Amino acid sequence: MGFDLLLQNILNPPVLMFLLGLGAVLLKTELEVPQPLPKLFSLYLLIAIGLHGGYELSKSGITLEVLKVLLLAVFMAVLVPVYAFFILRLKLDVYNAVAISATYGSISAVTFITAGSFLNNLGESYGGYMVAAMTLMESPAIVVGLILLTLFAKRENNSKVNWGEVLREAFLNPSVYILMGTLLIGFLTGEKGWKAMDPLFGVLFKGMLAFFLLDMGIVAGRRIGDIKRVGVFLVAFGILLPVFNALVGIFLAKTFGFAKGDAFMFSILCASASYIAVPAAMRLSVPEANPSLYVTMSLAITFPFNIAVGIPLYYFLINHLWG
Amino acid sequence: MKPMKKVEVVIDSIYLSRVLNVLEKAGVSGYTVIKDALGKGERGMMAGDELTDVFKNSYVFTVCPEETAYKIAEELRPLLKKVGGACLVSDVLWLTH
Repeated sequence: MGFDLLLQNILNPPVLMFLLGLGAVLLKTELEVPQPLPKLFSLYLLIAIGLHGGYELSKSGITLEVLKVLLLAVFMAVLVPVYAFFILRLKLDVYNAVAISATYGSISAVTFITAGSFLNNLGESYGGYMVAAMTLMESPAIVVGLILLTLFAKRENNSKVNWGEVLREAFLNPSVYILMGTLLIGFLTGEKGWKAMDPLFGVLFKGMLAFFLLDMGIVAGRRIGDIKRVGVFLVAFGILLPVFNALVGIFLAKTFGFAKGDAFMFSILCASASYIAVPAAMRLSVPEANPSLYVTMSLAITFPFNIAVGIPLYYFLINHLWG
Repeated sequence: MKPMKKVEVVIDSIYLSRVLNVLEKAGVSGYTVIKDALGKGERGMMAGDELTDVFKNSYVFTVCPEETAYKIAEELRPLLKKVGGACLVSDVLWLTH
């Protein structure tokens, strides 16, 4: 991988802010971001990305090309948890295997946003419909996880999955809802709407992302101690599976003729793991699984890996293949 | 002062609505909820992870007649067995006013 690319990714204020947050915990400083703010920042980021994506989508329109991307996004969101489950079953019980595979089948919006910022720094763009692809990839893994659970788990009668509650959590969790809604608003209001929103959701975006990533660094830092409990197999899984998923994503993107920027964002979506929507759904539907495994893996292993190494690595491969 | 029972429940924030449903069904006239309760229990540390409610507890308390308190406790037993948490019932004196 080009050292320049790695350096260019790291020497980016939001990524450095993440490392700053991580360092604050490791060096035992008392730094913290006051409680309700991180939730406000994540809401801000989701709204900004939804509105901008919707605006971009209104420019490109919903073409056959766009539908192809969306279908492949759903395909990967269904496929990843299935093979992840069978790999995890080599070492884990059904419950933990279901929860972790669903975590890896879904996506991380912040990884996607950071990758978008990396791409912008390189002066490249991606289609606004990739935001729609991201939204579509949030939920299927939860449903696939629960299907795997009903197929493979032998539970007592009183602990059946409450499908209504879990499907609601899968498709109407706050991040899916706000992304869908703002994507639609951005699409309906087009250029005029985006111009009105740009001062808050465009100009300030990178600063807000940096602030949010500072908090993510602190959260990830607090979970680093749990890595010991996760064990070598799961640490390796948390790094190797995202790389493998990205490779599958890149292969599909090349086969189906994605543009370069779209291929990169698609590979990022395939490689990332959820730490908000899926853990909440899994805690509801698979209380037998240990959240300090699946949350630690996605937040303290895969997220930092993707932010620091994954983003330049996948870009390097795509740049090589697309030229 | 009137002798009553105080029911305190500590539960994963994600299951808060189920506990409140149980209280409503049992017919309590009011309750208090403190969200974002942190601590440590049989299922490990609830450190208040900032982004999800997965590592957060909620604390609920209500004061009610003895019969209602036992009804709540029995209704909550299967949920607590499945997802962890705690339910305490104690004697209190209600200041009538």
